[in-house]
Amino acid sequence: MLYNKEQELLRKAVRDFVSKELDTLPAEMDKTGVMPKELIKKLAETKFISSNIPEEYGGGGAGYVSYAIIMEEIARRCASTATFVTAGSSLATLPILYNGTEEQKQKYLKGLATGELIGAFGLTEPGAGSDAGGQQTTAELVGDHYILNGRKTFITNGPFCDIAIVIAVTDRSKGLRGTSAFIVESKWDGFSTGAHEDKMGIRGTETSDLIFENVKVPKENLIGKEGNGFKIAMGTLEVGRIGVAALALGIAQGALDEAVKYTKQRVQFGKPIAKFQNTQFTIADMETKVCAARGLVYDAAQKRDAGMRVAQESAMAKYYAAEVANEVAYKALQLHGGYGFIKDYEIERMYRDARIVSIYEGTSEVQKMVISSNVLK
Amino acid sequence: MNDIKDLSSYKNVWIFAEQREGKIAPVVIELLGEGRKLATEVDAELCAVLLGKDVDGLAKELITFGADKVYVADDALLEKYTTDAYTKVIKDAIDEIKPEIMLFGATHIGRDLAPRIASRVGTGLTADCTKLEIDPEDKKIKQTRPAFGGNIMATIICPNHRPQMSTVRPGVMDKAEQDETRTGEVIALDYKITQDDIRTTVLETVKTKKDLVSLTDANVIVSGGLGLGGPEGFEMLKKLADKLGGVVGSSRAAVDAGWIDHSHQVGQTGTTVKPNLYIACGISGAIQHLAGMQSSDFIIAINKNPAAPILEIADYGVVGDLHEIVPMLIDKLDSVDDLLEAIKA
Ligand SMILES: Cc1cc2nc3c(=O)[nH]c(=O)nc-3n(C[C@H](O)[C@H](O)[C@H](O)COP(=O)(O)OP(=O)(O)OC[C@H]3O[C@@H](n4cnc5c(N)ncnc54)[C@H](O)[C@@H]3O)c2cc1C
Ligand SMILES: Cc1cc2nc3c(=O)[nH]c(=O)nc-3n(C[C@H](O)[C@H](O)[C@H](O)COP(=O)(O)OP(=O)(O)OC[C@H]3O[C@@H](n4cnc5c(N)ncnc54)[C@H](O)[C@@H]3O)c2cc1C
Repeated sequence: MLYNKEQELLRKAVRDFVSKELDTLPAEMDKTGVMPKELIKKLAETKFISSNIPEEYGGGGAGYVSYAIIMEEIARRCASTATFVTAGSSLATLPILYNGTEEQKQKYLKGLATGELIGAFGLTEPGAGSDAGGQQTTAELVGDHYILNGRKTFITNGPFCDIAIVIAVTDRSKGLRGTSAFIVESKWDGFSTGAHEDKMGIRGTETSDLIFENVKVPKENLIGKEGNGFKIAMGTLEVGRIGVAALALGIAQGALDEAVKYTKQRVQFGKPIAKFQNTQFTIADMETKVCAARGLVYDAAQKRDAGMRVAQESAMAKYYAAEVANEVAYKALQLHGGYGFIKDYEIERMYRDARIVSIYEGTSEVQKMVISSNVLK
Repeated sequence: MNDIKDLSSYKNVWIFAEQREGKIAPVVIELLGEGRKLATEVDAELCAVLLGKDVDGLAKELITFGADKVYVADDALLEKYTTDAYTKVIKDAIDEIKPEIMLFGATHIGRDLAPRIASRVGTGLTADCTKLEIDPEDKKIKQTRPAFGGNIMATIICPNHRPQMSTVRPGVMDKAEQDETRTGEVIALDYKITQDDIRTTVLETVKTKKDLVSLTDANVIVSGGLGLGGPEGFEMLKKLADKLGGVVGSSRAAVDAGWIDHSHQVGQTGTTVKPNLYIACGISGAIQHLAGMQSSDFIIAINKNPAAPILEIADYGVVGDLHEIVPMLIDKLDSVDDLLEAIKA
């Protein structure tokens, strides 16, 4: 697609940020598993973590195309940082932005926008992954509080979040219509987190269980109406997927960048391997697929900015871009030969990072379920 | 192999009366119970073979539990169990007196001794039987035991050799009733044994706290999860586990909380276990945990949440606070010591 002036300037700004702030950090975070507070602060100052939040609440007030640009450019260099950004700017933000009361927005959106509050989104449970309807966490209304009990798993930003959006069962007899969404503060009694998971990739983001043991949640922290939890979560994911799709696209582009650079330098049989037709055709395939993915991602973003529903578009973008990211990362590593298998080369980390995008925020299989149910309805 | 013998000269049911430190092993009472049934059906006497030192009192006790005759070898050389000495004495007794059936408890000693004797006298042995019955047609004993990890039950007979020998799994057969008024005969065995016959020397017998038992080998696992509320909870579970001769397991959440070492973790990313008894205390039953223990023979779950998934796979579920229930369980177990012995054997 063609971008307007503003969008081009934004892309340039993100690229500058990335080359300045994310030079050696991605490899470092991959080793230590810790994202420096300093980086988080800078992401907040530039409003890269709050592009979706209106200016009146201290956010960037930009649309989804802008959001996708930010995600793509950050992920091109560091998928961990990009994942951190999506968890805050779509997963924790959108439920409040779309369904919250004015008080909730004042109290929480502002903090999320400025980076004072780190947000997380708690839907997945040990027994409820793709089948998010199989929720076990319960919220029972006692007086003017809900009492929350249960456990969420694989929660991005879990270990250091200040607030979490939590989906819990308020009325088991009603099935999916018996779930509700809550804003839960991590400082409340009974809230704890599990161990930081030792992951294959995106090791710079922290992922853990959230554990609720009789956590008292004031009634005013219910988002929307009782029984709307699942709807709120699905609405969030529908739009949030644009972000993850752009993130996957960024990983693919980043891996392609590495392959192009490397194949021009590496000499075998007396010439750079870029001169072999296999290399050229492989690069051509990669480029074509990355461009096709880009088309899907920005199409979904543009339509969303135009106020349209994008359930199918965002699912297609997420599905395709995620699969392309994996394929491109695989081929880019192959073109590196043995060197690609060694941690000194960026592609090794990118290859591991790519693996998550076809899994989280709905697996590729789940996206296909969404797409086909739209097509076949 | 020995020559074909005159099978008809073999008579009576013998049981090996295992004793340790002057105490009769609990399984012996079960062997007497089962042996009595077999003896009645083949119309024979029930006899016990007792080896040890100063075991007079034990011989009388065996009679109160139903032995018609007790063959005793009382000797300092037999005070502690050794394969050589026990094998020789019993082999000679068998050659001399010719029992038709001989049963051993499938304890560590029984499993060591029975094959040695079987091979010396050249007869068949079926290990770890869970059911014994007399074929009404030909009065031979049908020995049934689980094979292939409990997946098939094999019934085995020993048609042409005598005695017909089995080791019997502890805790499976009914115990004999004690009757102080019963009478029987105590017969001293005629045996010859010298120090030279014994190639092993027992230097020391050490009783371990079973800390080193691994999860995979344990018959009983008492497991705790986040519901324990803290590392102290595991001390309570350890008490229960010790009582049952088992070991302590845990969920991943308890490991993550730093309450117990990873080596105790049961589940997909911990150890997969299949004990006879798995007691899950304060464990919700996430699929990642269930995958590691759901094929346990018997599962008991204690959880205060009646909707906890663990209760769906438990054979017995207790809905309540584990801090009340586990101590009650420990208390109750104090009054059934011999049951516990049977589980541990
Ligand atoms: C690093 C990381 C970060 C995450 N962050 C968050 C977060 O912040 N918040 C949050 O709530 N969750 C988060 N998740 C959870 C993530 O969304 C889930 O892992 C994902 O939805 C898949 O669920 P599952 O892992 O239980 O897999 P399962 O649902 O068990 O799926 C296993 C396999 O079966 C397939 N499958 C399942 N059902 C079907 C079907 N009906 N038809 C065909 N195939 C099927 C799946 O596609 C997959 O291939 C995160 C996960 C990871 C690893
Ligand atoms: C990559 C990965 C691998 C995993 N591998 C494993 C694994 O190998 N093994 C494993 O166990 N888990 C594993 N898990 C974790 C699994 O998903 C669950 O989180 C874990 O099993 C939960 O442990 P829990 O049941 O102790 O805690 P919880 O789910 O928090 O449950 C605690 C239970 O205790 C009960 N309770 C609380 N107080 C009391 C009381 N006073 N009396 C009685 N009951 C009480 C509650 O009702 C609740 O049911 C893995 C997770 C991940 C992400």
